[in-house]
Amino acid sequence: MKLTDCHNFYDFRKLAKKKLPSPIFHYIDGAADDEITYRRNTSAFNDVDLVPNVLRGVENIDLSTTIFGKKLDLPFYCAPTALQRLFHYDGERAVGKAAKKFNTMFGVSALATVSVEEISSMIDTPKMFQFYFHKDRGLNDSCLERAKAAKFDVMALTVDTITGGNRERDLRTGFTSPPKLTLSSLFSFATKPMWGINYLTKGKFELPHLQDYVKEGTSTNTSIGNYFSTMLDQSMNWNDAEKLCSQWGGHFALKGIMSVEDAKKAVDIGCSGIMVSNHGGRQLDGSRSPFDQLKEIVDAVGDKIDVICEGGFQRGTHMLKALSIGAKACAGGRLYLYALAAAGQAGVERALGQYKAELERDMKLMGCTKISELNRNNLRFRNI
Amino acid sequence: MSIKNCYNFEDFRNLAKNKLPSPIFHYIDGGSDDEITLKRNTDSFDECDLIPNVLANVGKPDLSTTIFGKKINLPVFLSPTAMQRLYHHEGDKASARAAEKFGTFYSMSSMANTTIEEISNISGGPKLFQLYVHKDKSITDDLIERSKRSGFDGMCLTVDTLVAGNRERDHRTGFTTPPKLTLQSLMSFALHPKWVFDYLTHAKFELANVAKKTDKGTNITTSVIKYVNEQYDPSMNWKDAEYIVKKWDGPFALKGVMSIEDAKRAIDIGCTAIMISNHGGRQLDGSRSPFDQLKAISDAVGDKLEIILDGGVRRGTHVLKALAAGAKACSFGRMFLFGLSVGGQEGVEKVLQNLHDEINRNMILMGCKNLSELNSSKLIYRK
Repeated sequence: MKLTDCHNFYDFRKLAKKKLPSPIFHYIDGAADDEITYRRNTSAFNDVDLVPNVLRGVENIDLSTTIFGKKLDLPFYCAPTALQRLFHYDGERAVGKAAKKFNTMFGVSALATVSVEEISSMIDTPKMFQFYFHKDRGLNDSCLERAKAAKFDVMALTVDTITGGNRERDLRTGFTSPPKLTLSSLFSFATKPMWGINYLTKGKFELPHLQDYVKEGTSTNTSIGNYFSTMLDQSMNWNDAEKLCSQWGGHFALKGIMSVEDAKKAVDIGCSGIMVSNHGGRQLDGSRSPFDQLKEIVDAVGDKIDVICEGGFQRGTHMLKALSIGAKACAGGRLYLYALAAAGQAGVERALGQYKAELERDMKLMGCTKISELNRNNLRFRNI
Repeated sequence: MSIKNCYNFEDFRNLAKNKLPSPIFHYIDGGSDDEITLKRNTDSFDECDLIPNVLANVGKPDLSTTIFGKKINLPVFLSPTAMQRLYHHEGDKASARAAEKFGTFYSMSSMANTTIEEISNISGGPKLFQLYVHKDKSITDDLIERSKRSGFDGMCLTVDTLVAGNRERDHRTGFTTPPKLTLQSLMSFALHPKWVFDYLTHAKFELANVAKKTDKGTNITTSVIKYVNEQYDPSMNWKDAEYIVKKWDGPFALKGVMSIEDAKRAIDIGCTAIMISNHGGRQLDGSRSPFDQLKAISDAVGDKLEIILDGGVRRGTHVLKALAAGAKACSFGRMFLFGLSVGGQEGVEKVLQNLHDEINRNMILMGCKNLSELNSSKLIYRK
């Protein structure tokens, strides 16, 4: 199987599975507990059907949208995800360059393996920094200042990882970061020698935003769940969020909002956007899917802030449905991570290009030429 | 397994799978993207139930109905489908003869491998021509004039194919027309020597009605997806449709209408019918199924134009449910294409015979003497 055999999300997933040592594949692929929420995030799209309009003359399609004051050429973007150099030796460099090519937002995690400064010198297109609220206030200040100095456009505070989700696949595979060789993982690493060679020869693995502050930023092996549970400040509350919002002084978003009540509070503390998200089903299993919850949230705050639907997207039509409900943009992690693992920058570009082609085709078939023409009249919910 | 053992859709499908090279089987069988809509088109019939009336002294039920100004003996007909020559060397001729025998419509695709004139010579039965609007307007005009001259009874304009759907099975099998031998597909063709023999020893494959107008119609190997994207006019709008309705000046349907708003506009531009369709789940995946959408459209416009339900029909009971929800008739593609693939005219006739027998039996079980007795009181939707 080669990159050119990848025609959709599932193909990229298959190729990633072939290329990655199994603990790493399952870190991307897995989710919390029984992965009910993970599955629902995608299957939720199937409870609503699209109703197209015909004969509208749809030669030219404009897929652009504006979020956080920035115009993107695509109504979807690369959500921030941690540890990208574990998936491909180019990591964030590959994803950032691909996002730049399509002029869409690139989200950079606090747990990124390339620094904000390097990313900023590499791409001038819209950038988001995704922030975790650590116990160490010096680390928090440093993250904010560095992101500001590096001219990031948006700061997104993650609010759904106050403690690590129960990712049972990681428990079984022994996934840690950086990867640790255990007897159970040894076999898997040994059978994917290319990954091992690239990992060991293409520059040291580090977490540049953390390394001056915590030993977990360097070479100590830790699990992500353990990191969330021990390093992040579980006492984080609305006051802290409000302070961060004004400290940042620019476009600020809360990532991981699910209730209408919280969405309204986000407006009150000065956010310019929220990501309706359950962290890709990786935190609280059994929680509602972003798409199921989207309508209520858009109805409550959609006219005041940018509502972004995050999670479950595997197809252009999924995005079309979320945009029809009223999301300003769609975001996803696995959306591009399998492609990153499969083939680095070329993989991410192929994946983004495919979603774009799907969206263009689907817009034509819907009889819509721009995103703002999508609305709830295009949708019918099934009575089941 | 033989045709006479084919009692239902799945039987024909299984037999066709054995007989056809896999790129060709999957071209018929597949849908777009994740094939959610393809599956839903049939599943949606299961969400309502039929309520029979007993002791109705039905006798021999009358299964006739009138569409496109023609009385037909069965409330079902053959949807227009492209390139039938790929499935059986007699292609459209076999389908047209079978439809005539059962007194129902045969429909010809713009992308048929037989000419309008040939079909008109061999079949005196009801005929519908399906039009795609090409970028080259002279192709469109030519097709309309020839259909008129050849005595076609109705015309339908396909409005859901401005751009080709994402048929991923075709990406994988490398399906092109005419079939191209690739390393990947060679094996499958080699394993189906009978198909290859028939294909090579009978008339040359061409898109007969457009062959003279575009080099894509002849032997340049191109995928359907590419053909659609290069030749069809994505700027097609209501004005263009209205022009075609006027030019045709006879019974006319838009094929691929899904919204109530569009159904109303179809009346305004002079259509006599609409075909509620998502192109058999081959275009926009995630779009609503025709049966799910039927009742709302029928409530809105059912008294002003003929509604034809296209897509998902596998059983006589599906037809009964569609008629009860407001359709005048149903049309289908895959089911007769599998019949065509396995036995030419005889295969299509067996498909129609099965469907006839099912509809006839089910009408008796429902206690209905004629199709007009099927109405919404015969259906209960599950919630």
